[in-house]
Order: sequence, then structure tokens, then C-alpha cells
Amino acid sequence: MSTNEHTLKFYGEELDQLKAEVARMGGLAEAQVRDSIEAVAQRDVALAEAVVGRDHRLDQLDREIEKKAIRLIALRQPVAQDLRRTVGALKMASILERTGDYAKNIAKRGLVVADGEPMTPLTRSIERMGRLVAGRLKDALDAYTSGELDQAMAVWQNDEEVDEHYNSLFRELLTYMIGDPRMINSCAHLLFVAKNLERIGDYATNIAEIVHYEVTGEEIMGDRPKWTGLDKSAGADSEI
Amino acid sequence: MPLLHPFPPQPSPKPASQGLRSSVAGAAVGAVAIMALAAMGRADTPTAAIAALIVVLIGVGLGYWTARTSDAVQKADVGAPTPFGFPSVDAQSYAMALELAPNPLMLVSGFEPDDLAGRRISFANAAARELLRIPREGALLVAAMRDPVVLEAIDESLFGGLDRIISYETGGPQNRFWRMWTKPIPTTANGGRLAMVLLRDETDTRLNERMRADFLANASHELRTPLASLAGFIETLRGHAKDDVAARERFLAIMSRQAERMARLIDDLLSLSRIELNEHIRPQGACDLALTTADVADALAPQLAAKSVKVQLSLPDRGAAMIVGDRDQIVQVIQNLLDNAIKYSLAGGVVRVEVAYGLTLDIAAASRPDSPRLAAAMGGRMSLQTPTWVGAERYAALRVFDEGPGVAREHLPRLTERFYRVEGQKSSGTGLGLAIVKHIVNRHRGGFFVESALGVGAGFCVYFPMIPTAPVAGAPTDPRLSEKPRHAFLDDPVPQDSRGEIKLS
Repeated sequence: MSTNEHTLKFYGEELDQLKAEVARMGGLAEAQVRDSIEAVAQRDVALAEAVVGRDHRLDQLDREIEKKAIRLIALRQPVAQDLRRTVGALKMASILERTGDYAKNIAKRGLVVADGEPMTPLTRSIERMGRLVAGRLKDALDAYTSGELDQAMAVWQNDEEVDEHYNSLFRELLTYMIGDPRMINSCAHLLFVAKNLERIGDYATNIAEIVHYEVTGEEIMGDRPKWTGLDKSAGADSEI
Repeated sequence: MPLLHPFPPQPSPKPASQGLRSSVAGAAVGAVAIMALAAMGRADTPTAAIAALIVVLIGVGLGYWTARTSDAVQKADVGAPTPFGFPSVDAQSYAMALELAPNPLMLVSGFEPDDLAGRRISFANAAARELLRIPREGALLVAAMRDPVVLEAIDESLFGGLDRIISYETGGPQNRFWRMWTKPIPTTANGGRLAMVLLRDETDTRLNERMRADFLANASHELRTPLASLAGFIETLRGHAKDDVAARERFLAIMSRQAERMARLIDDLLSLSRIELNEHIRPQGACDLALTTADVADALAPQLAAKSVKVQLSLPDRGAAMIVGDRDQIVQVIQNLLDNAIKYSLAGGVVRVEVAYGLTLDIAAASRPDSPRLAAAMGGRMSLQTPTWVGAERYAALRVFDEGPGVAREHLPRLTERFYRVEGQKSSGTGLGLAIVKHIVNRHRGGFFVESALGVGAGFCVYFPMIPTAPVAGAPTDPRLSEKPRHAFLDDPVPQDSRGEIKLS
């Protein structure tokens, strides 16, 4: 590190390294979410256990990224976009770590649900919602790795679908529980699975916000188009 | 394999200052050509394209080898006949063969196992660049592909020297299945390591398999009801209704309806399968949304007369709402939406059909002030398909409103599910109409939403990306479009007031 050029090059590499680590962590979180949904939908006990077993990798990556980001801030004192990228990596790591936790939780509940009777229509609904959420997470991560603002905005704007799926699933599960009390146990677990998926969908939105901040340096202004919100004032029960 | 070392030491075409990456890539191009050949040759069902590539590569390899052994041809003599009658080939040609290969092919380089940012794509051919949206060289590997299975396989080739073949899927609404071959490439360049990565799209095969299974499961389940009813009537006609003429006529009428229903169901299932098979391929043609809507509405006249339902069309001039689309599929979308609206209309009701164009994405996806959702307290709105690609500047929208019983909120998200029928509503449909619409809209990168309130009616809206430039003479595929002089509608400002309301022409 004798010359200035060398220092600069090294610094750029460190930032790249950080982004690469986050992208890899994103891929892992994505796979965890996908596998956990499949484990619930297919009643695949082995896959569910694999998801639970892999979660520590995400925790470890989160710690590593945090360490590297803090080191970079302390030693290089990045400014402007470099600083935003560093802070963005920090935030991304913790979001992805929590996404992984939700996936692990879904897999654990999948283990319990697999013990009970098959409930094909319900697990199919869960699978539909899961695929929707996994798609949003993929789009958000694609936007992060490519730094494409348009794609991030598209993710940010379209989260009503996940909410409506959640509300619809909630009603469906209630109907089942009222119809047959023996199913309450499994249904309650599926309810949490749905809630977890909804939370993962929210994280996808957060990732889109981070991308926007990283690229432009500004927070996204304005409200997201929430069509259901308009109805709330009219007395509809969209809030559950 | 003597072919593995067909390269004479020759001056690097790039200046040395371009660094390790280029030189590493250059040195390995020949080796990759052979590896790619081997990998592609191993494919279970090589496509014609792959076969052609193999032929090219073999020809190329043989040509070079002969050129070299004869030792008579210099680099400058490319194209001169060799003793065997082949044109000779240089490294540039090998690189070009890889570049033009139909399968995505990459060279990945790396230094240390723990240096994640050091894993770069040193070379990506045209197919890979298009697929992964990366530059020709220098992209961060994890930014292009982040599936853990993929990364692990590449690492094993880079640092473990192993050949790997894996399968993975990309996920998302236009899910694609890939098979990936990775192979280490021997290189002596300063400590760097190289691996070849070749992808093959297996989406068609996988979807075909899945569809066959789905089709069997769905068809057998859904066909059982009408079949049981048919069997019942046949039994009755053989038995005590044998000589009862009136009953026989009645039963035969019901049986004929059931048979029609079965035929419709099979048609819809087949059509859905076909659409799903093409879902990841973007449509190419041009289609006038307004003109197509008018055509479909005309064809529905008998159905309308039978139910005494009126259709109120408000369409822009022809040539204005030109969208990127496959006309047959767009007809199917319009047909299914109109069919539904007529089916759920009460006798004497009115179905409103509107086409608007030149809308921005926000406006295309927004509610109209006269939407049924806003007319009642329990109205709901649900996006059934959000556009997966937001590159289009302008959209054209088709909206179909009916005055039927409407759909309750809780049913909205499930409307496009196969065979989903709203409870308590007796319908003669197959339960596949909206599923078909959704898949067609997804293929067209468009959007689809429903708004409804019980007792007020339902509105379905689809919107599609428009053709980016104003239509020029000769461009439209529909010959009727040239009957009348067209205006540059697309250049007109979108008529709208401050509330975002769209005025239809």
C-alpha cells in the first residue's frame, strides 16, 4: 500500500467484496425461502430439516458482513455513494438474516403440519402465496445486484397482492378451523406460515427501499398505492 | 486428446496492460471450445442447434489441426485452402464460435476460495450476456448468479478441479429451469484459476413433464362429474325411461349439454397448456386492441341476443391502441372477459367495454372513478397479475364492467386459480377462463386486475405494453388497418385531468 493508486484499488475491491458477500447471502436466503415453501407444500420432512440446519450459515454471513462493513467504515471513512453502499450492505445483511429466520420458522412449522392429515387446498394456497413472495424477493435482490432503480420501484409499488393473499388465506383458514376443530392445530401453524410469508414480502419492499437509497441518496417519497387502504375508511375489514 | 492443445504460442491480441483477466481468457479459449463440445455432446437430447455447433467446432478443430501440422499457413492466410480443402482457422474463429453458440457459455476466473469478489466472469458469450444482463467481461459472479447450488458447483470446478452437472431454477413468474455444466480449465497464468460454465435451458422439457401430470390430474378430476352424469342418464334410458318419448328427449338434451361441457373443458385445458409452454417467450407481433375488441364483440352478438344483454363499446380509432401482442391470444383474453361479463349479467343488463391507450403504468393500473369498487362499502380490488417488466413507456388498457352480482372480497385473490369457482354461484364455465387470461397477460408483460363490490358488479381490466413508436405505414400486421389514414395518436398528450382520470376517445 505504498502508492495512492494501490490504496484506492484495494478500497474498491473491499466494497466489491462486501457487495459480493451480500449477493451470496441473498442467494442463500432466497433458496431457504423457496425450500421452506416447498417443504410445507410437499410435506417434505427431509427438506424442512435441511432448511433448519442451513440457517446458521446466514447468521454467520450476517456477522461476517457486519464485521467487514464496520472495518471498512473505520479504516476508509467512505463518503457519498461508497458510504451508502456500505451502510446498505449492513442493512441488507440484517434483513436477509431475518428473512432466513422466517424461512427456518416456516420449515419448522412444516414439520408439525406434515404430522397431521394432508390439507391439500390449504397448502396449495400457501404455495401460491409463497411463490408470489419468493418472486418479489428475487426481483428485489436482482435490483440490488444490478443496481436498477426501475426494478426496485416496481417491487416497492406492488405489495398489495401479497397482502390480499394473506387476508384471503386468513379467512380460508378460519373457515377450516370452524368446520373441523381437529384441524385447529395444523391450521394455526399454517396461519403463522402465512404471516411469516407476508413479513418476507415486506422485507422485499425494504430491500427495494435500500436500493433506491443506495443509488439516488434519497428516500422514496410518497405513498405506496394501497388500494385496500382506500376501502378501510368505508368500513371494510381489510386489517386483520 | 491431442485436440486439447491446438494453439501455437502466438502474440496476445490485446495489450499486456489489460491485465491478467484478458490473458487468462485468451489462453483458455481453445480449451473451452473442446470442453463445450464435450459437454454439449453429452446432452441427452441435443437440439439441432447444438448439433450444428458441434459440427462447426469439430470442423474448426480439425481445420486448425491440419493447418498446423502442415505448417504452411500463417495467421494471415485465414480462408486459404489447406491440403485437405478446409479453410484454416485462428484463435479468433474459436472465440467467435463460442460467442455465437446458442447456449449461454461463460469463463469464470478466481484466485482464492475466500475471495468472493475475485470470482469474475472473464468471458460471457452473447447468449449469456442476454440472459444474465452482464457485460462481456468483468462481471462479478455472484451478481450474475447467486443460487447457492450454482456457486458451490462453480467453486468445486475452480478450486476442486471437479466436473459438475447440476439443475436449478430461476424462480419468479417466468420461471425457467436450467442445467449447468462446469468444468475446470487447466491454466498456468499467475495463480488464477478458470472454469467453464455452460447453461442449457430445460424449461420446455420440465414444463412439458409437469403439464402432462397436471393435465391428467385436472382432467380426470373435472371430467368425472359430467361423465358420471352421462353414465347415469344412459342407465336410465336403458331402463325405465326406455319407452317414454318425452323423458328421452329431455335426457338427451341434458346429455348433449354435458358432452359439450366436456369438450369445452378439454379445449380450455389444452389451450392453457399451450399458453404456459410459451409463457417465458415474449410475443413478437402487433395487434390493435380496439379493433380486436370490436371483432370479438361482433362475434358475440348471438349470445347477447339470447340473454338480452347489451354491450356498450367505447373504443378509440383504429391504429391508436397498438400493442405488442399475439393476436390470437389477445382475442382469447377479450373473449374470456366478455364471456364472463355476459354470463354474470342479468337479463336486460349492460356490459361496458372500454379501450384506452397511451397510459402510463400508474394510470393503467389505477381505478376508474366509476369503478364498482368505489360504489359500495364492501368493494374490493385485487391485482391478479402485476407486470413483470416495467420497461414499457405507454400501455393500452381494456376494461370490462358488468352489472352482475359482483364478487366478494375474499374470493378475489383466487379468481385466477384453476377450476376455482365462487361458492354458491352456479356457472356453466370450465373454471379456466381467468387462468388463461392471467397466463396470456403474464406472457405479454402486461397487468390484470379486478375490482368488484357485491350487488354492484365487477370490472376486469387488462393492460398491455404498447408498441413504442408511432405506427408507420406498412408496419401493422392487420391489413384492415391501412384502409383509413392514420394519425400520430401516440404523440398526442394523454388526455387526463388532475385526478388522473382518463378520457377515452
